[in-house]
Amino acid sequence: MGMDKYNVFAAALVEKAEYFAPGHRACQGCAEALAVRLVMKALGRDTIVAMSTGCMEIVSSPLPTTSWNVPWIHVAFENSSAVISGCAVGMKALMRKGRVEKRDINFVAMGGDGATADIGMGQLSGMMERGHKAIYVCYDNEAYMNTGIQRSSSTPWGASTTTSPAGSESIGQNTNKKNMPQIAVAHDIPYVATACSSYPFDLMEKVKKATTINGASYIHVLSVCPTGWRIPFDESIKYGRLAVNSGVFPLYEVVNGKYRMTHKPEKFLPITAYMKGQGRFRHLKDTDIERIQQKVLDDYNKILKRCEE
Amino acid sequence: MPKMLMTGNAAVGEAAIRAGCQSYYGYPITPQNELTEYMAANLGRRPGCAFVQAESEIAAINMVYGASVAGVRTMTSSSSPGISLKQEGISYLAACQLPAVIVNMSRGGPGLGSISAAQSDYFQSTRGGGHGDYRTIVLGPGSVQELADLTHHAFELTDKYLIPVIILGDGMLGQMMEPVEFSHEAPEVPPVRQDALRGAKGRPSRFVRTFTSNPPDLEEVNWSLFRRYQLLQKNEVMWENYMTEDARLIVTAFGIAARIAKGAIKQARANGLKIGMFRPITLWPFPGEQLKALSKKTKFFLDFEMNMGQMIEDVKLSLEGAGDVSFHGRPGGVIPTPSEVLRVITRIYYQKGLS
Repeated sequence: MGMDKYNVFAAALVEKAEYFAPGHRACQGCAEALAVRLVMKALGRDTIVAMSTGCMEIVSSPLPTTSWNVPWIHVAFENSSAVISGCAVGMKALMRKGRVEKRDINFVAMGGDGATADIGMGQLSGMMERGHKAIYVCYDNEAYMNTGIQRSSSTPWGASTTTSPAGSESIGQNTNKKNMPQIAVAHDIPYVATACSSYPFDLMEKVKKATTINGASYIHVLSVCPTGWRIPFDESIKYGRLAVNSGVFPLYEVVNGKYRMTHKPEKFLPITAYMKGQGRFRHLKDTDIERIQQKVLDDYNKILKRCEE
Repeated sequence: MPKMLMTGNAAVGEAAIRAGCQSYYGYPITPQNELTEYMAANLGRRPGCAFVQAESEIAAINMVYGASVAGVRTMTSSSSPGISLKQEGISYLAACQLPAVIVNMSRGGPGLGSISAAQSDYFQSTRGGGHGDYRTIVLGPGSVQELADLTHHAFELTDKYLIPVIILGDGMLGQMMEPVEFSHEAPEVPPVRQDALRGAKGRPSRFVRTFTSNPPDLEEVNWSLFRRYQLLQKNEVMWENYMTEDARLIVTAFGIAARIAKGAIKQARANGLKIGMFRPITLWPFPGEQLKALSKKTKFFLDFEMNMGQMIEDVKLSLEGAGDVSFHGRPGGVIPTPSEVLRVITRIYYQKGLS
């Protein structure tokens, strides 16, 4: 059967080259490693990455090996956005003076939710405020997974972690998830987006769009963590889709203040579809889940309303 | 009470609770997460007590600062890179003369380093660590039992002298499990400090501040700190002499390194070599006089540390030229074996003609 018998139609093509190479030490079914791989494919070769301490740094760079096929620097937890700011400004100066050949380079800072929403938020704010032509990618797995599942300010209400343990007198995490994309929007930067590695083309489109923006961009990627969420290792893609289709994590982008929902669920799922099977939510009672359902709908409708404006 | 099998990190947590610690502020970093988790599970549920996971180490140490000024027994913990972030807060605690217990389960450095045990934070801990002319009390435990005992002692010391206490453990002590016994029960009513800012009714009002625009006033603050440091040096030094009676070569080591050296010394003794050990337990104030006293018996010392030679400076300063000090160290989180240390001890013993 020769190929001449068929018409080949490819809806979308993905770059073959791997800038985040296999062989790293991420857990089975890690959707965060997948997200990094897709983000790097979208960014391409001319990219400099500054990465905060966290899962992705630990698994990808045990000396003397590395998964990174682009210039990559690891920095302490809170500093990736400051380091990439310095890098962007320094390269700009070198190009202006003719010491480095002029070309379009993507300056990208990456961090987990702890690095982004907790310890590194001040420096991220600085990067966005100064408006460097740089991209910040937050890989949000909703806790400090690298150190053993401690809560972060990105952990959702009700989730049990080692430092917010559920019990007879504790619901688990007792605060709401910090809304980092909205904090980025409040900085009036030209591009903010949410994405999830269960929707690879959407994720890569957004990263590619960010590279064309003349200013700071912020991309918040929900990264399902089977280890920390206590789900089977082969279901991380499924849970990412459930998060999006139940409205827990809407996929949207904000270009110059204009909202757009990039993925509208065909059928809006109840929150139970997403939470069921996740060990970190196992202790929740029906009344707790109702409360979460209400909050999810409120938040989703807020974003939806802004998209319609 | 019966002995319990616990990790060093959990033992610190339990000892702190039994010492009346009412608030703990943590932030994730390996290898001390078990302590944060222990406090999350056990301190938060006690009436009148609080566990908070801060958004950064800087936030955690400043929560300690706030708790301490309100008169609450308080503690934080981290590991080397996180302790570096806490230095600003420690300097402020020292300046304001506020008690606090800070646990450092140290790891290899510099930078993010490794998560394996190391002793490379000796300089940082014993020289103040942050900016300004100050010291903190530094305790160097060598076993899980001692971690528990010294944690209790740390709360007593910090309240008595109003100087922050650093417990300088390491990743190995923090994560290894040993039987441990607690000699204290948690107090029914936690002790209240008289100097706490809880309203000035019935006493003159007090200021807690670090900024002093008039240099002579600041000098007075420094003098008052210095006087307390002198008292500490006089009254609170702790050390251990191990088989030093007839020793011709004395190993100086602290913490987990001393534990490793002990194994080597036992073997050396079995081989007929007269080796002893001097182990400082308070790393600051350093038991200098006690070490100097040993130089009357022998002139030969071997300093062994899991770094490239930090405590050796205190050893040499204390001996004031009265000893011949050799050095063996392994930096970067490499944990030497007793047989490695035995080889070094044996080599130096014969090289120096001590047989």
